Amino acid sequence: MKKYLTSDSLFYIILITIFLIVLPLGNILGFVSNNTISLWGRYFCFAIAALGIDLIWGYTGVLSMCQAFFFCLGGYSIAMHMLLSASGKGVYSAAIPDFMVWNQVDTLPFFWEPFHSFGLSLLLALALPATFAFLFGFFVFRSRIKGVYFAIITQALALAVWLIFLRNETMLGGTNGLTDFKSLLGFELSSPGTKLGLYLIAFLTLCGTFLFCRWLVNSKFGKVLVGILDSESRLSFTAYNVVNYKVAVFVIAAILAAIGGVLYAPQTGIITPGRMDVKASVEMVMWVALGGRGRLKGAIIGALLVNYLYSVCTSLFPESWLYILGILFILTVLFFEKGFWGLIEMLEAKLTGWSSAKGSESLKANI
Amino acid sequence: MLNVKNLNVAFGGVKALDLHDFSVDMNELRVIIGPNGAGKSTFLDILCGKTQADDGEVIFDGNHILGKKEVDIANLGIARKFQKPSIFGSLTVYDNMLLAARMPKGIFKSMFFKMSSEIKDRIYQVARMVRLDIHLSKLAGNLSHGQKQWLEIAIVMLQDPKLLLIDEPAAGMSDEETYRTGELLTDLAKHHCVIVIEHDMSFVEQIANRLVSVLVRGKLLMEGSFAEVRNDQRVIDCYLGRTNTQLE
Amino acid sequence: MKYIFYFLLVFAWPLSLLADRAVNNTQMQVNTVISGSDSLKTIAINNLIISEKTEVYPLLSAINDKKLFMHNNILVTLGEKKTSDEGPEKFKILQVYPEFKELFSADGNTLLLPLSELKEIEFSRSTRLLLAPIIPYLNLLSPEVEKRKLAYSQFQGLKDKAILPKLYSALAQEKNKEIQRLGKETIFSIQLNSAPEATHKMWIDSLALNWGPNTQSILEQYASSQTNGDLRAMAVLKAEELQSKHERLRMFQNLFSGLSLGSILIMIALGLSIVYGLAGVINMAHGEFLMIGAYTTYCIQSIMSPASDLFFWISLPLSFIVAGFWGFVIERLIIRHLYSRPLESMLATWGVGLVLVQIARSLFGDLTAVRTPAVLSGGWEVVQHLVLPYNRLFIIFLSTFMITVTYLVLYRSRLGLQIRAVTQNRRMSSCLGIETNKLDAMTFFLGSGLAGLAGAAMTLIGNVVPDMGQTYIVDSFLVVVTGGVGNIAGSIVSGFGIGFLFKILESFFQAVYGKVLILTLIILFLQYKPKGLFPDKGRIGED
Repeated sequence: MKKYLTSDSLFYIILITIFLIVLPLGNILGFVSNNTISLWGRYFCFAIAALGIDLIWGYTGVLSMCQAFFFCLGGYSIAMHMLLSASGKGVYSAAIPDFMVWNQVDTLPFFWEPFHSFGLSLLLALALPATFAFLFGFFVFRSRIKGVYFAIITQALALAVWLIFLRNETMLGGTNGLTDFKSLLGFELSSPGTKLGLYLIAFLTLCGTFLFCRWLVNSKFGKVLVGILDSESRLSFTAYNVVNYKVAVFVIAAILAAIGGVLYAPQTGIITPGRMDVKASVEMVMWVALGGRGRLKGAIIGALLVNYLYSVCTSLFPESWLYILGILFILTVLFFEKGFWGLIEMLEAKLTGWSSAKGSESLKANI
Repeated sequence: MLNVKNLNVAFGGVKALDLHDFSVDMNELRVIIGPNGAGKSTFLDILCGKTQADDGEVIFDGNHILGKKEVDIANLGIARKFQKPSIFGSLTVYDNMLLAARMPKGIFKSMFFKMSSEIKDRIYQVARMVRLDIHLSKLAGNLSHGQKQWLEIAIVMLQDPKLLLIDEPAAGMSDEETYRTGELLTDLAKHHCVIVIEHDMSFVEQIANRLVSVLVRGKLLMEGSFAEVRNDQRVIDCYLGRTNTQLE
Repeated sequence: MKYIFYFLLVFAWPLSLLADRAVNNTQMQVNTVISGSDSLKTIAINNLIISEKTEVYPLLSAINDKKLFMHNNILVTLGEKKTSDEGPEKFKILQVYPEFKELFSADGNTLLLPLSELKEIEFSRSTRLLLAPIIPYLNLLSPEVEKRKLAYSQFQGLKDKAILPKLYSALAQEKNKEIQRLGKETIFSIQLNSAPEATHKMWIDSLALNWGPNTQSILEQYASSQTNGDLRAMAVLKAEELQSKHERLRMFQNLFSGLSLGSILIMIALGLSIVYGLAGVINMAHGEFLMIGAYTTYCIQSIMSPASDLFFWISLPLSFIVAGFWGFVIERLIIRHLYSRPLESMLATWGVGLVLVQIARSLFGDLTAVRTPAVLSGGWEVVQHLVLPYNRLFIIFLSTFMITVTYLVLYRSRLGLQIRAVTQNRRMSSCLGIETNKLDAMTFFLGSGLAGLAGAAMTLIGNVVPDMGQTYIVDSFLVVVTGGVGNIAGSIVSGFGIGFLFKILESFFQAVYGKVLILTLIILFLQYKPKGLFPDKGRIGED
């Protein structure tokens, strides 16, 4: 029995029609505001990071609470490049970013130098989080810190780096973060064309990362990840080096988060330490939980839905957003373990009378 | 094949294991019996790297294995089946077996893994042996308890190990399943070295072709054929609860 | 009674003064200053300055600051400013003449008035300029502590003996211990610079004995300009002695801060650790129970009479009960469904935390504070320059108390025996007839209650804000992780360890880098002891 319209294909059709055709076309014709475009463009960035979280938490069962830090490493790298490429055009016409002038710094700190070049910035935006995740992951996973312990250690890490980025003397803009970007590769960031372009790039990158993740989870590598979730010890007794796999998925998740960050900074025009605190990281995990962990589409839906809900709620009833988020979250964890996408799958199964794998097979073993 | 000398393990001051001399030959099926808490599972835990010993020497196939990690020990050719079935519940039976099958298990090898007919044949062959060939697409978590036990045996077999450590394979199985398991193990022992822990005496009788070792409170009480062990007064005493605690 | 006494004092004092002719003369001059014509005012002020009567200095100081007012026929000036949410700014009111003192309202409370209720007595600029030469002396008697401090420090190291009498007389009226020490230091330093060399030894000794804030540099400066070898050596020696004493004290202070921080961390980690050990749940909303305890204290303060400090002592047990009750409810409603899913329960409790913080924000706004009870304000001056604040001492005491009680409950009571049994092996315990359900709820009550109690104590050292729970929570998680699963002794050792280490590192680096270093150290530590300081050993403990 072959179905022509599953929730799966519906997902692709809706997503692509809305985001690749309706919104951009509407923008060009003037129905959709530039604001909406760059809002959704930002949500795509979150969705990319959410894919990474789904890989490490949804599939592998390792709860990392510092993904927002990797997101910001990507964001800060590209932001530094944008600030440098606009140097001389600031309020003070100085060769260094404005906030350094306020802090009485007159020469560019050495670690800002590589960010003059776009290519190098892009490379560092991904290499920095990858290296960091590799080193941190290696030491932590090697000593068999897992489960709740790992969650706490990553939380402490998120706290520590957040505090570092908050400082003025680390030359990363302190509490105010980096802002006032002018252009990227010569494109004016304020022009509607650039905004639409960034939106499309973000969407296509989301599609690309989604395909990559899908390939990954369907490969034997993905099965090993699920194996780690199910029984880590069985996996090591079956001669898999679990530490390597965990480090690998941690690095991949970090890179995905960083990709999100790279695309995020030019679209928002600001990146602050507030994006990387513990709260931000946990919220990212919430997107995946709400959307449906262990399902790549769930991660995407979750990130888009929660952020859309956020922008709607904060404008309609600003006080209540945290109530809504908190309660939604408790309910999801308590009653909808598989999240929003799990709910859709369940409904689909009920509607079509198609039973899940469990029902279709005889429970009794006939030996 | 396996030589154990002066092995010592203690948990918080309590001696869990104190083995002076223990060895298993090629293609031997050795059964270890003993009352609860005798240190049987702990012994297997040490052999597969799950627990670290305090002191002693274990040589397997010419390699010292104490202090090695689970993965390295597994690569040397020791495979373990646990008392409580340890399988990948949210993967299909087929995927469970695929993960276990002998092949390079690095990250990139896994990412770019291409199925070969050789591996496929081997999986089907083992699946038939444990009678799971009709359940290959089923989620392993949904199998019955006995089937889970067999799946784990299949996982262990697919690794092509030299030494199999089998912990209570018959627990929770029906009589028929138990008998079938016995056949399977006897079959395995033709080409492998197998250590089995078991409580069920009729099952032990079925599979014990050479020696049975009796462990009591961490110490090796005696070794001998099944008949010798069954008729030994000391063994009977400790199984009936008349252990010599008072004497010590 | 007290109020009547004050009342009499205020109104009867001028009458008694009339009897004294000399004072009477001063009183006349003062009257002229207030109500005479401009030229008479000038003369009267001049007379007051020349008379060098220090009791009029507060009055002159008020004139100089343009802060002289008339209130109920009393000459007053403004004291400390009290801002409140509604209405205009209010000030404490200080009488300036004939006696310099704080005024109280009829019901015995501090008198607070807005500017609008005071009548300012104005003086021309030229009149005020008359005061210029004596401003430094006026400041010696200023109502503001900072001004007095500055005034004394300005005189330090002068070589002119002439000002000494004024300093002595001002110092005689000084009540603030810290300024007394500063004043003495000033006087001794002037003596040292102006008195004959024969007496220098004595002044050096006095300086060192008094040991004010600048003594070391005064002595060093003296040594550098002194030609007499003996005296120079003596000054250098004393300076070095003070220096090493100071360092020792600072070290001690650091240790004390470490002890205090450790106590706070342990107070929070205790409940966390018990709950984690029993249920395997890291309660991310644990900090919010602390917040609930703090707000309980705040509520009780608002309900009870503001004059009494009783509220704090009542709120200690109450915050335990209220926070414990919340913990109980949340365990029954949410957490008990998540016992086999530790990571999900972390996320769900985070959601709980979000909601609790938002509830607090809606109810209480963004910032409130609890008054520190009088008994716990100030500090215990162990030796000079080493003051241990009472509130910190109380926190250390409270955490010791909590540790003891928790220990007794866990190891000397039936409940504790059951908790430990379930921690070790839940299924077996339930087979033995322990009602694990009931026990979980009670443990949650205990754990959350301990956090609430900690919250009540935290009101002593900080504001009460909705997200106050998050300040220490991650550090407390680290304490639990480093200590080992559900191990009370481990939490205590690692709590103090992290507290001390942090304060020691903080004295070398900045706080932030200290924190980063601690995290690194903990990760390295876990390389060697992945299960914390006191891990469970054995087959059951694993997987």
